[in-house]
Amino acid sequence: MSGRNLDGHLVYIGSKEENDGVYHNTSEVDLLRAALAGDVDAWGEIVLRYKDAVFGLCLGFVRNRADAEDLTHDTFIRAYENLRRYRLDKKFSTWLFTIASNLSRNRLRHRRYHPVVSPPDQMVGGTDPAAIVAREARQARVKAALDSLPPGYREPIVLRYYNELSYKEIADVLSIPEGTVKTRIHRAKVMLKERMERSGVMKNEARG
Amino acid sequence: MKPEDDLDRLLRDTLNQEVEQHAYLLEGLEDRIRSELAGRLPRAGLGDLFRRLLAPTRGARIAQLAVVGATAVVFLVLGVFLAEKVLPTGGGSLRHAAVAAAGTTDEDVLFVMPAPDAKSVAVVGNFNNWSPTPLSDPDGDGIWTARIHLSPGRYEYAFVVDGHWWGQDPLADDYVRSFGQYNSVRYVGRAGEGA
Repeated sequence: MSGRNLDGHLVYIGSKEENDGVYHNTSEVDLLRAALAGDVDAWGEIVLRYKDAVFGLCLGFVRNRADAEDLTHDTFIRAYENLRRYRLDKKFSTWLFTIASNLSRNRLRHRRYHPVVSPPDQMVGGTDPAAIVAREARQARVKAALDSLPPGYREPIVLRYYNELSYKEIADVLSIPEGTVKTRIHRAKVMLKERMERSGVMKNEARG
Repeated sequence: MKPEDDLDRLLRDTLNQEVEQHAYLLEGLEDRIRSELAGRLPRAGLGDLFRRLLAPTRGARIAQLAVVGATAVVFLVLGVFLAEKVLPTGGGSLRHAAVAAAGTTDEDVLFVMPAPDAKSVAVVGNFNNWSPTPLSDPDGDGIWTARIHLSPGRYEYAFVVDGHWWGQDPLADDYVRSFGQYNSVRYVGRAGEGA
Protein backbone atom coordinates (compact mmCIF):
# COMPACT_ATOMS: atom_id res chain seq x y z
CA MET A 1 0.00 0.00 0.00
CA SER A 2 1.43 3.29 -1.00
CA GLY A 3 -0.55 5.70 1.17
CA ARG A 4 0.73 6.74 4.50
CA ASN A 5 -2.14 6.77 6.91
CA LEU A 6 -2.34 9.61 9.40
CA ASP A 7 -3.31 7.05 11.98
CA GLY A 8 0.21 5.85 12.56
CA HIS A 9 1.51 9.26 13.54
CA LEU A 10 -0.41 10.67 16.40
CA VAL A 11 1.25 13.84 17.56
CA TYR A 12 -0.13 16.34 19.99
CA ILE A 13 1.11 19.84 19.47
CA GLY A 14 0.59 22.24 22.32
CA SER A 15 -2.09 22.15 25.00
CA LYS A 16 -5.52 23.68 24.78
CA GLU A 17 -4.57 26.55 27.06
CA GLU A 18 -1.77 27.75 24.87
CA ASN A 19 -3.53 27.24 21.58
CA ASP A 20 -4.70 30.74 20.70
CA GLY A 21 -2.59 31.83 17.82
CA VAL A 22 0.10 29.19 18.22
CA TYR A 23 -1.04 27.32 15.14
CA HIS A 24 -0.26 30.14 12.75
CA ASN A 25 3.06 28.67 11.76
CA THR A 26 2.19 25.02 12.14
CA SER A 27 2.45 22.91 9.02
CA GLU A 28 -0.70 21.46 7.53
CA VAL A 29 0.37 17.89 8.15
CA ASP A 30 1.03 18.57 11.83
CA LEU A 31 -2.37 20.24 12.14
CA LEU A 32 -4.06 17.26 10.53
CA ARG A 33 -2.27 14.79 12.78
CA ALA A 34 -3.21 16.79 15.85
CA ALA A 35 -6.81 17.06 14.65
CA LEU A 36 -6.95 13.31 14.14
CA ALA A 37 -5.72 12.85 17.68
CA GLY A 38 -8.73 14.87 18.85
CA ASP A 39 -7.30 18.37 18.95
CA VAL A 40 -10.23 20.50 17.79
CA ASP A 41 -8.16 23.69 17.99
CA ALA A 42 -5.89 22.34 15.29
CA TRP A 43 -8.97 21.65 13.19
CA GLY A 44 -10.09 25.23 13.87
CA GLU A 45 -6.89 26.43 12.23
CA ILE A 46 -7.60 24.23 9.20
CA VAL A 47 -11.08 25.78 8.99
CA LEU A 48 -9.53 29.23 9.18
CA ARG A 49 -7.16 28.45 6.34
CA TYR A 50 -9.71 26.87 4.01
CA LYS A 51 -13.06 28.47 4.80
CA ASP A 52 -12.91 31.00 1.95
CA ALA A 53 -11.92 28.37 -0.59
CA VAL A 54 -14.64 25.95 0.52
CA PHE A 55 -17.31 28.65 0.69
CA GLY A 56 -16.32 29.93 -2.77
CA LEU A 57 -16.56 26.43 -4.19
CA CYS A 58 -19.98 25.80 -2.63
CA LEU A 59 -21.33 29.21 -3.64
CA GLY A 60 -20.03 28.70 -7.17
CA PHE A 61 -21.66 25.29 -7.40
CA VAL A 62 -25.07 25.95 -5.81
CA ARG A 63 -25.35 29.71 -6.55
CA ASN A 64 -27.23 30.32 -3.33
CA ARG A 65 -25.80 32.05 -0.28
CA ALA A 66 -27.74 30.24 2.44
CA ASP A 67 -27.03 26.81 0.95
CA ALA A 68 -23.36 27.67 0.50
CA GLU A 69 -23.19 28.69 4.16
CA ASP A 70 -24.69 25.38 5.32
CA LEU A 71 -22.53 23.38 2.95
CA THR A 72 -19.34 25.06 4.16
CA HIS A 73 -20.22 24.13 7.72
CA ASP A 74 -21.13 20.57 6.73
CA THR A 75 -17.95 20.13 4.70
CA PHE A 76 -15.70 20.88 7.67
CA ILE A 77 -17.70 18.68 10.02
CA ARG A 78 -17.80 15.83 7.51
CA ALA A 79 -14.09 16.15 6.78
CA TYR A 80 -13.26 16.06 10.49
CA GLU A 81 -15.38 12.96 10.98
CA ASN A 82 -13.66 11.25 8.05
CA LEU A 83 -10.14 12.49 8.63
CA ARG A 84 -9.01 8.93 9.25
CA ARG A 85 -9.64 8.19 5.58
CA TYR A 86 -7.47 10.98 4.28
CA ARG A 87 -4.11 9.79 2.94
CA LEU A 88 -1.03 11.93 2.95
CA ASP A 89 -0.09 11.08 -0.63
CA LYS A 90 -3.03 13.18 -1.82
CA LYS A 91 -3.16 16.93 -1.49
CA PHE A 92 -5.36 17.81 1.48
CA SER A 93 -7.07 20.63 -0.43
CA THR A 94 -8.10 18.24 -3.21
CA TRP A 95 -9.56 15.83 -0.66
CA LEU A 96 -11.42 18.64 1.12
CA PHE A 97 -12.73 20.07 -2.16
CA THR A 98 -13.96 16.63 -3.15
CA ILE A 99 -16.11 16.51 -0.01
CA ALA A 100 -17.38 20.06 -0.59
CA SER A 101 -18.13 19.32 -4.21
CA ASN A 102 -19.97 16.05 -3.46
CA LEU A 103 -22.09 17.72 -0.78
CA SER A 104 -22.87 20.63 -3.12
CA ARG A 105 -23.82 18.37 -6.01
CA ASN A 106 -26.08 16.36 -3.72
CA ARG A 107 -27.73 19.55 -2.55
CA LEU A 108 -28.40 20.60 -6.13
CA ARG A 109 -29.79 17.19 -6.92
CA HIS A 110 -32.21 17.27 -4.01
CA ARG A 111 -33.32 20.83 -4.21
CA ARG A 112 -34.86 23.05 -6.80
CA TYR A 113 -32.33 25.47 -8.12
CA HIS A 114 -32.45 28.96 -6.62
CA PRO A 115 -30.24 31.64 -8.09
CA VAL A 116 -28.02 33.55 -5.73
CA VAL A 117 -29.44 36.76 -4.35
CA SER A 118 -26.65 39.19 -3.64
CA PRO A 119 -27.17 42.37 -1.67
CA PRO A 120 -26.21 45.32 -3.85
CA ASP A 121 -24.17 46.96 -1.11
CA GLN A 122 -20.87 45.69 0.30
CA MET A 123 -19.01 46.23 -2.95
CA VAL A 124 -15.30 46.33 -2.34
CA GLY A 125 -12.60 48.57 -3.76
CA GLY A 126 -12.86 51.45 -6.21
CA THR A 127 -14.08 54.95 -5.47
CA ASP A 128 -15.23 56.32 -8.82
CA PRO A 129 -19.03 55.95 -8.73
CA ALA A 130 -19.30 55.56 -12.51
CA ALA A 131 -16.65 52.84 -12.52
CA ILE A 132 -18.35 51.05 -9.63
CA VAL A 133 -21.70 51.13 -11.39
CA ALA A 134 -20.15 49.86 -14.62
CA ARG A 135 -18.32 47.07 -12.81
CA GLU A 136 -21.41 46.06 -10.85
CA ALA A 137 -23.43 45.86 -14.02
CA ARG A 138 -20.77 43.82 -15.75
CA GLN A 139 -20.35 41.40 -12.88
CA ALA A 140 -24.10 41.03 -12.54
CA ARG A 141 -24.20 39.86 -16.17
CA VAL A 142 -21.31 37.49 -15.67
CA LYS A 143 -23.08 36.08 -12.63
CA ALA A 144 -26.31 35.69 -14.60
CA ALA A 145 -24.38 33.87 -17.33
CA LEU A 146 -22.79 31.58 -14.70
CA ASP A 147 -26.21 30.95 -13.16
CA SER A 148 -27.54 29.82 -16.50
CA LEU A 149 -24.79 27.26 -17.14
CA PRO A 150 -25.70 23.62 -16.52
CA PRO A 151 -24.04 22.48 -13.24
CA GLY A 152 -21.78 20.02 -15.06
CA TYR A 153 -20.20 22.92 -16.93
CA ARG A 154 -20.22 25.44 -14.12
CA GLU A 155 -18.43 23.14 -11.65
CA PRO A 156 -15.12 22.87 -13.54
CA ILE A 157 -15.23 26.60 -14.23
CA VAL A 158 -15.50 27.36 -10.50
CA LEU A 159 -12.72 24.93 -9.60
CA ARG A 160 -10.53 26.38 -12.32
CA TYR A 161 -11.14 30.11 -11.87
CA TYR A 162 -11.96 30.38 -8.20
CA ASN A 163 -10.07 27.51 -6.60
CA GLU A 164 -7.25 27.71 -9.18
CA LEU A 165 -6.98 23.94 -9.56
CA SER A 166 -5.16 22.18 -12.39
CA TYR A 167 -7.09 20.05 -14.90
CA LYS A 168 -5.80 16.95 -13.17
CA GLU A 169 -6.98 18.15 -9.76
CA ILE A 170 -10.39 19.12 -11.16
CA ALA A 171 -10.65 15.64 -12.65
CA ASP A 172 -9.89 14.14 -9.23
CA VAL A 173 -12.39 16.33 -7.39
CA LEU A 174 -15.24 15.71 -9.84
CA SER A 175 -14.33 12.07 -10.57
CA ILE A 176 -14.33 12.59 -14.32
CA PRO A 177 -11.52 12.07 -16.86
CA GLU A 178 -9.09 14.92 -17.43
CA GLY A 179 -10.07 15.11 -21.10
CA THR A 180 -13.69 15.67 -20.10
CA VAL A 181 -12.62 18.50 -17.81
CA LYS A 182 -10.85 20.26 -20.69
CA THR A 183 -13.81 19.78 -23.04
CA ARG A 184 -16.31 21.04 -20.48
CA ILE A 185 -14.27 24.10 -19.61
CA HIS A 186 -13.85 24.90 -23.29
CA ARG A 187 -17.57 24.47 -24.01
CA ALA A 188 -18.55 26.35 -20.87
CA LYS A 189 -16.43 29.30 -21.98
CA VAL A 190 -18.02 29.27 -25.43
CA MET A 191 -21.48 29.30 -23.83
CA LEU A 192 -20.51 32.06 -21.41
CA LYS A 193 -19.02 34.15 -24.17
CA GLU A 194 -22.17 33.84 -26.28
CA ARG A 195 -24.41 34.77 -23.38
CA MET A 196 -22.27 37.69 -22.33
CA GLU A 197 -21.94 39.01 -25.85
CA ARG A 198 -25.69 38.85 -26.14
CA SER A 199 -26.08 40.87 -22.94
CA GLY A 200 -23.38 43.32 -23.92
CA VAL A 201 -20.59 42.48 -21.49
CA MET A 202 -18.15 41.15 -24.04
CA LYS A 203 -19.29 43.38 -26.89
CA ASN A 204 -15.96 45.07 -27.42
CA GLU A 205 -13.93 42.10 -26.36
CA ALA A 206 -15.32 39.46 -28.71
CA ARG A 207 -12.70 37.73 -30.71
CA GLY A 208 -13.28 36.27 -34.08
CA MET B 1 -1.33 26.88 -22.13
CA LYS B 2 -2.97 29.91 -23.70
CA PRO B 3 -2.33 33.27 -22.08
CA GLU B 4 -5.15 34.52 -19.92
CA ASP B 5 -7.84 36.26 -21.95
CA ASP B 6 -10.53 38.74 -20.97
CA LEU B 7 -13.05 36.05 -20.20
CA ASP B 8 -10.59 34.30 -17.86
CA ARG B 9 -10.05 37.53 -16.01
CA LEU B 10 -13.75 38.35 -15.84
CA LEU B 11 -14.57 34.92 -14.41
CA ARG B 12 -11.79 35.05 -11.87
CA ASP B 13 -12.78 38.57 -10.74
CA THR B 14 -16.48 37.82 -10.56
CA LEU B 15 -16.09 34.59 -8.58
CA ASN B 16 -13.64 36.19 -6.17
CA GLN B 17 -15.78 39.25 -5.73
CA GLU B 18 -18.81 37.09 -4.95
CA VAL B 19 -16.93 35.47 -2.08
CA GLU B 20 -15.53 38.77 -0.79
CA GLN B 21 -19.04 40.15 -0.77
CA HIS B 22 -20.13 37.37 1.57
CA ALA B 23 -16.92 37.20 3.61
CA TYR B 24 -18.74 38.52 6.68
CA LEU B 25 -20.69 35.26 6.82
CA LEU B 26 -17.49 33.35 7.48
CA GLU B 27 -16.40 35.38 10.49
CA GLY B 28 -15.87 33.12 13.49
CA LEU B 29 -16.74 29.94 11.59
CA GLU B 30 -13.62 28.26 12.97
CA ASP B 31 -14.71 29.04 16.56
CA ARG B 32 -18.18 27.66 15.95
CA ILE B 33 -16.90 24.46 14.46
CA ARG B 34 -14.32 24.13 17.19
CA SER B 35 -16.90 24.41 19.94
CA GLU B 36 -19.34 22.17 18.14
CA LEU B 37 -16.69 19.48 17.87
CA ALA B 38 -15.42 20.11 21.40
CA GLY B 39 -18.93 19.37 22.65
CA ARG B 40 -18.58 15.88 21.20
CA LEU B 41 -15.27 15.14 22.79
CA PRO B 42 -14.73 12.94 25.83
CA ARG B 43 -15.59 14.54 29.10
CA ALA B 44 -15.34 13.08 32.61
CA GLY B 45 -14.78 9.45 31.76
CA LEU B 46 -17.87 8.78 29.72
CA GLY B 47 -16.08 10.14 26.71
CA ASP B 48 -15.25 6.91 24.97
CA LEU B 49 -18.83 5.81 25.13
CA PHE B 50 -20.00 9.11 23.61
CA ARG B 51 -17.43 8.91 20.89
CA ARG B 52 -18.52 5.46 19.87
CA LEU B 53 -22.12 6.58 19.95
CA LEU B 54 -21.30 9.55 17.76
CA ALA B 55 -19.45 7.64 15.10
CA PRO B 56 -21.56 4.59 14.34
CA THR B 57 -22.54 3.14 10.99
CA ARG B 58 -24.58 5.19 8.58
CA GLY B 59 -27.85 3.40 9.30
CA ALA B 60 -27.44 3.66 13.04
CA ARG B 61 -26.57 7.29 12.66
CA ILE B 62 -29.78 8.08 10.81
CA ALA B 63 -31.76 6.26 13.49
CA GLN B 64 -29.86 8.21 16.12
CA LEU B 65 -30.62 11.51 14.45
CA ALA B 66 -34.29 10.62 14.40
CA VAL B 67 -34.16 9.90 18.14
CA VAL B 68 -32.27 13.14 18.79
CA GLY B 69 -34.82 15.07 16.72
CA ALA B 70 -37.74 13.56 18.61
CA THR B 71 -36.01 14.18 21.94
CA ALA B 72 -35.38 17.76 20.91
CA VAL B 73 -39.09 18.36 20.33
CA VAL B 74 -39.91 16.81 23.70
CA PHE B 75 -37.28 19.02 25.35
CA LEU B 76 -38.73 22.12 23.75
CA VAL B 77 -42.21 21.41 25.06
CA LEU B 78 -40.86 20.26 28.41
CA GLY B 79 -38.59 23.27 28.60
CA VAL B 80 -41.37 25.81 28.32
CA PHE B 81 -43.49 23.82 30.74
CA LEU B 82 -40.87 23.30 33.42
CA ALA B 83 -39.38 26.73 33.12
CA GLU B 84 -42.68 28.19 34.26
CA LYS B 85 -42.16 26.38 37.57
CA VAL B 86 -38.49 27.07 37.93
CA LEU B 87 -38.78 30.76 37.22
CA PRO B 88 -41.76 32.34 38.93
CA THR B 89 -42.54 35.26 36.72
CA GLY B 90 -45.68 36.63 38.29
CA GLY B 91 -47.47 36.19 35.01
CA GLY B 92 -44.87 38.08 33.05
CA SER B 93 -42.77 36.83 30.22
CA LEU B 94 -40.35 34.01 31.01
CA ARG B 95 -37.44 35.51 29.23
CA HIS B 96 -37.65 38.69 31.17
CA ALA B 97 -37.53 36.84 34.44
CA ALA B 98 -34.29 35.23 33.39
CA VAL B 99 -32.72 38.55 32.66
CA ALA B 100 -34.49 40.42 35.40
CA ALA B 101 -32.98 43.25 37.40
CA ALA B 102 -32.87 45.46 34.36
CA GLY B 103 -30.67 48.46 33.99
CA THR B 104 -27.17 48.94 32.79
CA THR B 105 -25.32 46.97 35.43
CA ASP B 106 -23.87 43.47 35.30
CA GLU B 107 -26.20 40.60 36.03
CA ASP B 108 -26.07 37.00 37.19
CA VAL B 109 -27.88 35.37 34.31
CA LEU B 110 -29.57 32.07 34.97
CA PHE B 111 -29.27 29.41 32.30
CA VAL B 112 -31.76 26.58 32.62
CA MET B 113 -31.92 23.42 30.58
CA PRO B 114 -34.37 20.61 31.30
CA ALA B 115 -32.59 17.39 30.37
CA PRO B 116 -33.80 14.55 32.60
CA ASP B 117 -31.62 11.77 31.17
CA ALA B 118 -28.53 13.77 30.31
CA LYS B 119 -25.09 12.85 31.57
CA SER B 120 -23.62 16.30 31.00
CA VAL B 121 -24.99 19.71 30.09
CA ALA B 122 -22.93 22.77 29.30
CA VAL B 123 -23.51 26.21 27.86
CA VAL B 124 -21.26 27.68 25.17
CA GLY B 125 -21.50 31.23 23.93
CA ASN B 126 -19.67 34.32 22.93
CA PHE B 127 -19.37 35.18 26.64
CA ASN B 128 -17.05 32.20 27.18
CA ASN B 129 -15.47 32.10 23.72
CA TRP B 130 -17.65 29.10 22.89
CA SER B 131 -15.86 26.88 25.36
CA PRO B 132 -18.21 24.89 27.60
CA THR B 133 -19.29 26.13 31.04
CA PRO B 134 -20.97 23.18 32.79
CA LEU B 135 -24.52 23.30 34.14
CA SER B 136 -25.28 21.34 37.28
CA ASP B 137 -28.22 19.39 38.59
CA PRO B 138 -27.40 18.75 42.27
CA ASP B 139 -30.88 17.54 43.28
CA GLY B 140 -31.17 15.20 40.30
CA ASP B 141 -34.55 16.51 39.14
CA GLY B 142 -33.37 16.81 35.55
CA ILE B 143 -33.29 20.61 35.57
CA TRP B 144 -29.75 21.74 34.90
CA THR B 145 -28.76 25.25 35.84
CA ALA B 146 -25.83 27.64 35.84
CA ARG B 147 -25.50 31.26 36.84
CA ILE B 148 -23.11 33.33 34.80
CA HIS B 149 -22.11 36.87 35.59
CA LEU B 150 -22.51 38.98 32.45
CA SER B 151 -22.14 42.65 31.67
CA PRO B 152 -24.86 44.39 29.65
CA GLY B 153 -24.97 43.37 26.00
CA ARG B 154 -26.22 40.87 23.48
CA TYR B 155 -25.09 37.27 23.88
CA GLU B 156 -25.33 34.32 21.53
CA TYR B 157 -25.19 30.88 23.08
CA ALA B 158 -26.26 27.28 22.88
CA PHE B 159 -26.45 24.30 25.20
CA VAL B 160 -24.43 21.17 24.63
CA VAL B 161 -26.38 18.22 25.98
CA ASP B 162 -24.36 14.99 26.02
CA GLY B 163 -22.36 16.30 23.14
CA HIS B 164 -25.32 17.45 21.08
CA TRP B 165 -25.79 21.05 20.07
CA TRP B 166 -29.04 22.47 21.44
CA GLY B 167 -29.41 26.02 20.23
CA GLN B 168 -33.07 26.74 20.96
CA ASP B 169 -33.35 27.68 24.59
CA PRO B 170 -37.03 28.31 25.37
CA LEU B 171 -35.91 31.16 27.65
CA ALA B 172 -34.02 32.98 24.91
CA ASP B 173 -34.97 36.46 23.77
CA ASP B 174 -34.27 35.59 20.18
CA TYR B 175 -32.75 32.98 17.90
CA VAL B 176 -30.29 33.23 15.07
CA ARG B 177 -29.48 30.61 12.49
CA SER B 178 -26.05 30.35 11.06
CA PHE B 179 -23.98 27.61 9.53
CA GLY B 180 -26.74 25.11 9.68
CA GLN B 181 -27.64 25.40 13.33
CA TYR B 182 -29.60 27.56 15.70
CA ASN B 183 -28.15 29.68 18.45
CA SER B 184 -30.09 31.41 21.20
CA VAL B 185 -29.76 35.10 22.00
CA ARG B 186 -30.07 36.86 25.37
CA TYR B 187 -30.01 40.56 26.03
CA VAL B 188 -28.51 41.51 29.37
CA GLY B 189 -29.17 44.84 31.03
CA ARG B 190 -31.95 45.82 28.71
CA ALA B 191 -34.69 43.52 29.91
CA GLY B 192 -36.79 46.36 31.25
CA GLU B 193 -37.00 48.13 27.91
CA GLY B 194 -39.03 45.48 26.18
CA ALA B 195 -41.10 44.41 29.18
